[in-house]
Amino acid sequence: MQRFRELSPLKKKEATFGWKLVSPAIILIGLFILYPVLYNIYLSFFEVSLTPGVPNKFVGLQNYKELLTDPTFWNSFGITMLYVLITVVGSILVGLGIALLMNKEFPGRGIVRALILFPYVAPVISTVFAWQYVLMPLNGPLTILLSNLGIMDVTKDLVNDPNNAFIVVSFYSIWKNFPFIYLMILSRLQSIPQDYYEAADIDGANGWQKFHHITLPELYYVIGSLVLLRGIWNFYKFEEVYLLSKEARTLPIYLYEKAFTGLPELGVAAAIATVLFVVMMVLISIYVRKVLKW
Amino acid sequence: MVKKLTVVILAVLVSAMVFTQTITFWHTQVETDRQQRIRALAQIFEAQTGITVNLVPIEENEILEQIPRAVQSGTLPDVIEGGISPILLLGSQGFMDTELNAKIIEDFGDVYEGVSRLMQAPDGGYYGVPFHAWVQGIWYKANLFEERDLGAPTSWYNILTAAKALNDPANGFYGMILPKKADAYTEQVFSQIALSNGARPIDKDGNILFNTPEMIESFRFYKELGKYSRPGFTAVPEALNGYLNNEAAMVFYSTYIMDDIAVEEVQKNRVEQFDPKLVENTGFANFMINTRPSSFGEVVGLGILKTSENKDAAEQWVKFLMSGSNYIYWLHMAPGGMNPTRSSIAQMDEFLDNPVLERYGKDQITTIISALDTVERFEFMEGEIIEEMSILSGNFVIGRAINRMFANDWTPQQTAQWAQEEAERLLSE
Repeated sequence: MQRFRELSPLKKKEATFGWKLVSPAIILIGLFILYPVLYNIYLSFFEVSLTPGVPNKFVGLQNYKELLTDPTFWNSFGITMLYVLITVVGSILVGLGIALLMNKEFPGRGIVRALILFPYVAPVISTVFAWQYVLMPLNGPLTILLSNLGIMDVTKDLVNDPNNAFIVVSFYSIWKNFPFIYLMILSRLQSIPQDYYEAADIDGANGWQKFHHITLPELYYVIGSLVLLRGIWNFYKFEEVYLLSKEARTLPIYLYEKAFTGLPELGVAAAIATVLFVVMMVLISIYVRKVLKW
Repeated sequence: MVKKLTVVILAVLVSAMVFTQTITFWHTQVETDRQQRIRALAQIFEAQTGITVNLVPIEENEILEQIPRAVQSGTLPDVIEGGISPILLLGSQGFMDTELNAKIIEDFGDVYEGVSRLMQAPDGGYYGVPFHAWVQGIWYKANLFEERDLGAPTSWYNILTAAKALNDPANGFYGMILPKKADAYTEQVFSQIALSNGARPIDKDGNILFNTPEMIESFRFYKELGKYSRPGFTAVPEALNGYLNNEAAMVFYSTYIMDDIAVEEVQKNRVEQFDPKLVENTGFANFMINTRPSSFGEVVGLGILKTSENKDAAEQWVKFLMSGSNYIYWLHMAPGGMNPTRSSIAQMDEFLDNPVLERYGKDQITTIISALDTVERFEFMEGEIIEEMSILSGNFVIGRAINRMFANDWTPQQTAQWAQEEAERLLSE
């Protein structure tokens, strides 16, 4: 690579012009991404004061020590990992299944394809209220249906029971997010050349063999990217979980409670955010190298 | 001529922009009709004083979460309307202008002492000005109690006996509606039960007392009541709807329920059928007794913050809200629920001139208001404020303990132990 001063005058001008063009983006990224991240890391070493005029107190690694020895943190961490696993696997399986169905020709397919997107495009707050309504004890339509089928007691309050809340929010997340998976997979399915399947037919392959040897390999990178995206999103998922039931104690909820309830501990909350950031970066880098082979 | 006129208009506009003051007011009246009334008051205030009031409605359960966020972003209001917990939390962190709040109380000269005490700062002055107040108790179907010859649900014995006798789940009718969710409502109901048994979570010396025999007994009574209560973990709206819908014989509720019981339009906003006899058939137990009598209530205060840069405007707004017809207009947005904290207003015919208050009558209203002088809370003990309580309330320790007791079928001892450990953990941090 040539040094800047060794460049010809024209190349120098070009390079300067290039920097001028990208500088707004660099400044914006610095302001809105780098600064908050660095400030958060800085705060994690302090006991943050809420009282006006009282400065923050430097406590070194105390916040991290407190956090890593807190069983509630590890409990929330475990719940979050389980939540990510269940919701990512669940929404991918449902999305894949429906995309395969919707890839087949049938009358009214256009309308059905559009309707499937409804959970994803509807506002979170309205779908949360709908779920809370259908799952109400005694009068909730779904509660009544499930109790008529003998699956559940009609007096059961699924949403507000801390023992069930995790299951309900996981189901909700799968229901809410599978259309995104379905959309991505469907668009990839439509670009797989039909010749592959015709050749497989000639070789006498059955449905499963065609799916296993043609469809799945073709979908590998789409599904791989979806797992990555949904994994990141669900790891930090707050609004869906918190609005539906405050009893599903995932890490973002734990962080929120540390930061904003009672007497807030913003230093500890900053330490949680930093730990989450590091864990996520490590997981992503392993995943990207091993699975996506980038 | 045109130039001169333009200059004059510009001068007026610039001076208006320079001299117009704006104050921010946080309040907990999130219902649409209440917000309309507050907007109307703010408009009248602006017309009279030229001061604009920026209104920010915040859900009661959310207010403790909003405070630290506002502190960090420097967006604290000039004046806040809120219950004791947020006012105490802000006060204990040095945010409230205790002197100015005290001056307003002194200027009025007729604020009830009992409610003022609940806003008193330990080093003199007041964290807030008591604005309006409600009393909590058991609202019950008095006609059913008479038919079965059951005593009024004031003692633990009477409450449990009535809950058992009237519970009829096969016909969709329950002895009681009891909150079991991890929220402020559950804590309020439990407070009254515990206080009537002489139990408190924290004493004056800061000792945590969840695992005392009195407290365990209170959890036991709560769990026992749960057997005869409507299924579900129940939040405030479900409790209200359940009682109006004739799904239960008793409900713990504040005096805010009075207009829902008495006024057809209000009741029909909640349930389909209006029951015109509900007022006559409803009784109110405004105290509870087991080992000692106890009343529970909430005082909502108006507090001016130390951080406010418009103290004079804030003082004018507080005084405007608590004076004459403005005050009565505010109180009438929830007749019975919002009771005046100034004796001169409570005695005004204009205050009692209201369709709801008329139906209950002057005597019952006077009884409710008089209970405000004897209201007890976990945050106060023998005239002293127990500030640690706001941390436990902010983290819903009691609500979460009760929620887990029912969800996991914990024994009262297990529940008390969990609450003890959780409180110790939170207060040691």
